Amino acid sequence: MRNTFAWAAALCLSLAAAPADAHHSMAMFDMSKTVTVSGTVKEFQWTNPHCYIQVLGKDGKEWSMEMGAPMYLYSNGWRPKSVKPGDQITARLYPLRDGKPGGVVIDVKTADGKILGGKRA
Amino acid sequence: MRAVTIAALLLSAGAPAWPPAHAEDASPAARQAAFAKLPYWPGLWLTEHDESTIGGLSVAQIEARESGKAAEHNPALSLFGFAAPWNEEGKKRQAARMNQGNGNRTAEGWGYPMMMNAAAPLQFLITPEEVLMINAYRDVRHIRTDGSPHPGPDDIWPTVWGDSVGHWDGDTLVIDTIGVRNPNVYFHGGPPLSDDAHYVEKLHMVSPDRIEGEITITDPATLTGPWTVKLAWTRDDSFGRMIHDAFTNDRTDNENATIAPPADEQPGGEKGE
Repeated sequence: MRNTFAWAAALCLSLAAAPADAHHSMAMFDMSKTVTVSGTVKEFQWTNPHCYIQVLGKDGKEWSMEMGAPMYLYSNGWRPKSVKPGDQITARLYPLRDGKPGGVVIDVKTADGKILGGKRA
Repeated sequence: MRAVTIAALLLSAGAPAWPPAHAEDASPAARQAAFAKLPYWPGLWLTEHDESTIGGLSVAQIEARESGKAAEHNPALSLFGFAAPWNEEGKKRQAARMNQGNGNRTAEGWGYPMMMNAAAPLQFLITPEEVLMINAYRDVRHIRTDGSPHPGPDDIWPTVWGDSVGHWDGDTLVIDTIGVRNPNVYFHGGPPLSDDAHYVEKLHMVSPDRIEGEITITDPATLTGPWTVKLAWTRDDSFGRMIHDAFTNDRTDNENATIAPPADEQPGGEKGE
């Protein structure tokens, strides 16, 4: 019974933060918080199973910003050159719970304030 | 009598019962005629309500979060197994999986049956001899529709995608699948069924943009009775084309969930799988 309760509770957690791609649990991210990070793009990794934007933040830290797989970005209007090294961006993230400079991307704005992406961005 | 004797001798000599004798290939004209009678399900298809944000999060989940209401849809979990009629062994396996972390284990895809419930786009390629189902994670199913049977017990072993044979009942594709390795071994989202589970699917295009289906699973080792899961796919042109690529940047670690930069950028680190 305890076991049943334990995995029911775990399910509730996973339901609250279910990733569409299901590559890994989203439990490492605190989806009750949003952080906004501005900085300079160091690298845009257009890779499976996740894309990442490495950003040198104005806070002096390097942020790892996780995104979905390339196919999800593509279907949302992103392309491999949507952000390039040296670009100034502002990203909203659900941050890592462990306090490290990283998170999963909610949206990304370019220097001119435009939100990158298409229909589902 | 003599034929029976010869057959018995062949069997006792270990002659393989499978593959079946190869039928003659159809003439091009006969094949074109066969093709013309088949349904056509063009395009790329996505599990209904399973669109993703750029963060790889479920749009339905995010909308529910923002509205403060429970999500109406959680399609990725249809085959997870929480609604399955597990017997004691099945319950034990379900409980065990929750203690194993949520890493992706060995998978670069989802395996069967989860690939039918994935967020990845899926293609249905229908030919007279077989139906191919291919998704963006390179999960591939070959469903023979040429009348050949499943291999006999000595000629089949459990694999991630199993062995499928099918036939058309009007416009409905009926598929029989066996020989699927416990889907939870390959992919953490897979239900922990036994290798002896039997899967029967019925798929039907109800409109040019929608396919409906159901999978009924029987598995006396883990289920008290048949478990039926209804699925639906909608055509999604936003993916443009089917694109495959390897997993070269998996930063997650089952025990230490992290998205720290790749190990080769860290002193003394080893790249995790």
